[in-house]
Amino acid sequence: MSSTTGVRGPRGSAHLSLAGRRRVRGVAGLLIGVGGFLLVWSLLSEFVVGEFLLPPPLEIGQEMWEIVRSGAFVEQFVPTILRLGYGFGLALLIGFPVGYLMGTSRWWRAFFHDMVMIAGSIPGITYAVMALVILGISILGPVISVGLVAMPYIAINVAEGLDSVDRQLVQMSDAFRRRRALVVRHVLIPSVAPFAFAGVRLSFALAWKVEQLTEVFGASSGVGFQIRREFEDFSISGTLAWVLLFIIFMILVERFLLARLERYLFRWRLEDNR
Amino acid sequence: MSQAIVSPPRSEGLLASIGRFLRSDLVARLASYLFLLALWQLVALYEDRFPGPVEVFRFLWIEVTGGRHGGIVRGEFLEPFAATIPRFALGIAISMVLGVVTGVVIGGSKLAEALLKDTLLVLVALPAIIWAFLTQMWMGLGDDAVVITTFLSAFPFVAINVVQGIQAIPRDLRRMSGAYHVSRYRRLRHLQIPAVTGYLFAGFRFAVIVGWNAVLLGEWFSASDGVGWRSRYWYDANRYRGFVGWVILFIGFIVLLDRLVLVRLQRRAFRWRDAQLTVTERQAEEIDVGVRGA
Repeated sequence: MSSTTGVRGPRGSAHLSLAGRRRVRGVAGLLIGVGGFLLVWSLLSEFVVGEFLLPPPLEIGQEMWEIVRSGAFVEQFVPTILRLGYGFGLALLIGFPVGYLMGTSRWWRAFFHDMVMIAGSIPGITYAVMALVILGISILGPVISVGLVAMPYIAINVAEGLDSVDRQLVQMSDAFRRRRALVVRHVLIPSVAPFAFAGVRLSFALAWKVEQLTEVFGASSGVGFQIRREFEDFSISGTLAWVLLFIIFMILVERFLLARLERYLFRWRLEDNR
Repeated sequence: MSQAIVSPPRSEGLLASIGRFLRSDLVARLASYLFLLALWQLVALYEDRFPGPVEVFRFLWIEVTGGRHGGIVRGEFLEPFAATIPRFALGIAISMVLGVVTGVVIGGSKLAEALLKDTLLVLVALPAIIWAFLTQMWMGLGDDAVVITTFLSAFPFVAINVVQGIQAIPRDLRRMSGAYHVSRYRRLRHLQIPAVTGYLFAGFRFAVIVGWNAVLLGEWFSASDGVGWRSRYWYDANRYRGFVGWVILFIGFIVLLDRLVLVRLQRRAFRWRDAQLTVTERQAEEIDVGVRGA
């Protein structure tokens, strides 16, 4: 947020070169960052904790390459991602009506208030073990956990989106006798969708984590399950390799997919500076 | 507000006042708790292994009071908390100290930012379970693994928030205080501290919420007492009413801590900034903090 508001200067003719320069600086920063990360890691591995406890980056890199080359990467990531997708689908399905009720009625806002508030501070382990107790080892566990974790954020953001709907537009549509469906399609949905997406974006990191945890406890495939298997084999390098693959993947999704989608959805209010 | 000033209509039917009562916020909240209980009961009916509310509250009654054998509070449920809270507090304390130091270093220098900020973001993205596993492999069972799991999970959130706080000090104000030769003390007192305090509190709140999950996970895997261990004990014994009872205890603990202490502190720390927010925006803000943390 600070990077977009921090840049000042005339828009227009200088805009392209500014964006280009920013991109170059971004890539350089990323390279230095990754370099710094590897440097810190190597130093720790070499001098502080020793190679057995923290294998050097190269060894982990080989392990990661092995996972990708053998096809295990695709095999384990596909179920994990599918579950995440289903979970968010579930969250949207429940979050929209709940958010609509919260945004339009005082009674329902009070009704859901405590649930939404409490949901944010429930430790992730609750979802993981409860899912295992209730559903056993099943694909439903991670899906429902992701849904439950993400739902409150989607609901509260939808409510906030409804708050932000331009009342004058709604009144004008009434004055000109537009049909309710048209108002929903052209006024309500465009103003609420970005907020709902912000809810998805916000809960994404958390949902990932809870999904991993649920897979650690009660799944028979997926990244979390692999991490658990490596842990039970007492393989530090194997655990780290899966963890790193998972983090790299998550950062890619977050930076490239979600950030782009967000820019696309929010493009109509670019001049807002938010 | 305005409703309180307008005097109520003189003659009001009983039905109307009941209707108004049913539409009040209090009833809505009560209804939501009843709804949750009903949902829980339904799940328990659907899955036999899962205990219903009556069973669990009966267990909790015995665990907390000692049932008919003990006195008023036998205190057995306090023992796990007494084991967990020092680990939790120590982990949070370390992560606050190191988080502030790291945050100040990264926020103050462009080079440190380029070198370390991405590492910090990776650490933020790591699930606590990874630390629970790694610390167990590194240190074996015991307090160290639990405290370090807590610290490693909570620390990056403190650091990131301090960085944000330092970077959020408005550049114009910094320049103006330079131009007008505002003394170092007044700059610290009126510009830097207010700007960072709010973020520091937000970081502290993250740390507490994240750290609680981490301490439970750490204890689940590498302790032989404490809240996390106690829940695992019931879980391993296939006594799910004990497990669910302890889940209620540990959720209750963190929710009370968060709602009664942390949210209030945060609201106070940010009051200079958020005074003009609407109710929905403020709620969203408070929840967002919860999320980004966990």
